[in-house]
Amino acid sequence: MNAATISFLVYTGILAAIGVWSFRIVEKVPINKYEQEFYAAGRGLGGVVVALVIAGGLASAGTFIAGPGMTYAYGYSWVMINNFQIFMNLLLLAPIGILVGIVARRVNAVTYLDLFKARYQSKTVIILLAVLVTFFLIPYMATQFVGAARVISQMTGMGYLVSLAFGALVVLVYCVLGGMRGTSLATLLQGVVITVGCIMLFIGTVHSAGGFQRSTEVLAAQDASFLSPTKSGEFPPAFAFSVACMTGFFIVGMPHAMLGALTYKNTKALKRGIWMGGILVFLWTLLLCLSGVVGRSIIPNLAVPDEIAPWLAMNVMPKALAGIVLAGIVAGIQTTVAAMAIIITSSIAKNVLQELRPDVSPTTIKAASRWTMAACLALAMGLAVFQPKLIQWIIFFSIGGLEAATFGPILLGFNWKRGNRYGALAAIACGMVVYALANTVCPWLKLWGTHPSLVAVIAAVIAFIGASLVSRPPSENVVQTFWGQKIS
Amino acid sequence: MKQTEDPRIKVSRRVFLLAWVFFSLYLAAVLAASYLLGIRPRLWGLPQWVTIGNILLPAVFVILLIIVVEKLIPDVSLTDDKPERREPE
Repeated sequence: MNAATISFLVYTGILAAIGVWSFRIVEKVPINKYEQEFYAAGRGLGGVVVALVIAGGLASAGTFIAGPGMTYAYGYSWVMINNFQIFMNLLLLAPIGILVGIVARRVNAVTYLDLFKARYQSKTVIILLAVLVTFFLIPYMATQFVGAARVISQMTGMGYLVSLAFGALVVLVYCVLGGMRGTSLATLLQGVVITVGCIMLFIGTVHSAGGFQRSTEVLAAQDASFLSPTKSGEFPPAFAFSVACMTGFFIVGMPHAMLGALTYKNTKALKRGIWMGGILVFLWTLLLCLSGVVGRSIIPNLAVPDEIAPWLAMNVMPKALAGIVLAGIVAGIQTTVAAMAIIITSSIAKNVLQELRPDVSPTTIKAASRWTMAACLALAMGLAVFQPKLIQWIIFFSIGGLEAATFGPILLGFNWKRGNRYGALAAIACGMVVYALANTVCPWLKLWGTHPSLVAVIAAVIAFIGASLVSRPPSENVVQTFWGQKIS
Repeated sequence: MKQTEDPRIKVSRRVFLLAWVFFSLYLAAVLAASYLLGIRPRLWGLPQWVTIGNILLPAVFVILLIIVVEKLIPDVSLTDDKPERREPE
């Protein structure tokens, strides 16, 4: 057993201990407060944890594995493209954070679908969104497992499937046992490990390449387009702009990011969550993406570009430090999986179950939560067996689909009083149809080379506005709950 | 029936607008720097558009974000009990 494996095992052991510890906390909570504890950690998270829950949840294997993988494959153009995600905490918490904070306390919402229920008062909207979120998040979660398995496999020399099982098992322990409480505690440790790991990997890589000057010369000799902001026209400005919209303006449509908005303690925590998230995502994204492209000047012929980050960790750094770097990468992935698992579980085990069986008991919800979480993690693990070469494209597909379905109903629904359930249904339907068409039989919908999510989200927004305007406005009760002054 | 809007909603909308304006400025600055500076000149051994557009500008905007958020987003109560009270840390 090498030093890298030992340091990684220590990290994993701490995570498992956190899972058991948070299980004890959650188990002590009275059954009538169990949902609030399991899904929203008692709505008492401070700024640092909120920053990490959102940043760690959104910065997935797409940042930690695929980010360096894309810059390795396509050069500096993808450093710019990935940099558009730096302000994701701002763009999630600022547009809806305060409103969600107020309304969630008014209606005692602990899941994002509780908010939709209060806003749209429609069983169809709830069930439709739960199905779509599960549909898009499961493959997204599978890509996270692929990334984690690749890292563990590189580090330990174990086979892909054993690495996959190992990486997933620890998430299963702290998510299923500890819920959001376990996830938030684990995220705190993981945030530190991720940041330290990114810094060490960057320093080691640049040092090993002989500095930026030398690395740039080597890259220019390999292929001058690696130095181009468009990869010599392969990724035109319109594409970069559409990705900026997807990972920037539209990010508010990502349901698993909503966890931060539902769990923060007060506006001080919200503000810290915004700017600390900016610093963390900036460091993670930039350092890893630069490591990927500089890494190409060290080893130009990796068969799977996504393996560049673990390869660098194992080959340009001392083994014990490599274990910390790789633990950081796996930690980044695990935070995303945990956030997604919480969202899918809350959608199915709480909201859909309550819609179908309104008299369901808290004890049944408690059991259903744990079984659903275990089942969705197992399903994602099953999908991860079929490992793709570049996981970024699957991640973008899932993000685009989620945003096409939820951006309109979330952003407009929470900021425009006139929006109603018909608008939400029209937005979901229109967004999904346009997204499906653009990805399959109507590629011309990817206007000027943009990502299909751009046109799908725009279509969904238009549908939301149009359908809301031609139908009945929402009830006075809804308007009062969301925007009115509370009369006590 | 005319309803009284919660004054915190106005704060929420202002913060929303602030975030989108901030990100729009960042996006415009990065795109302009990246596409207009060219790949030939080098700064710190990297193509100039990378150093300025993708290292320095994001760093400047992250620092600006701290100032903007702490100075321009007011603290509001999230509960309906005492809306005028400032939230304790």
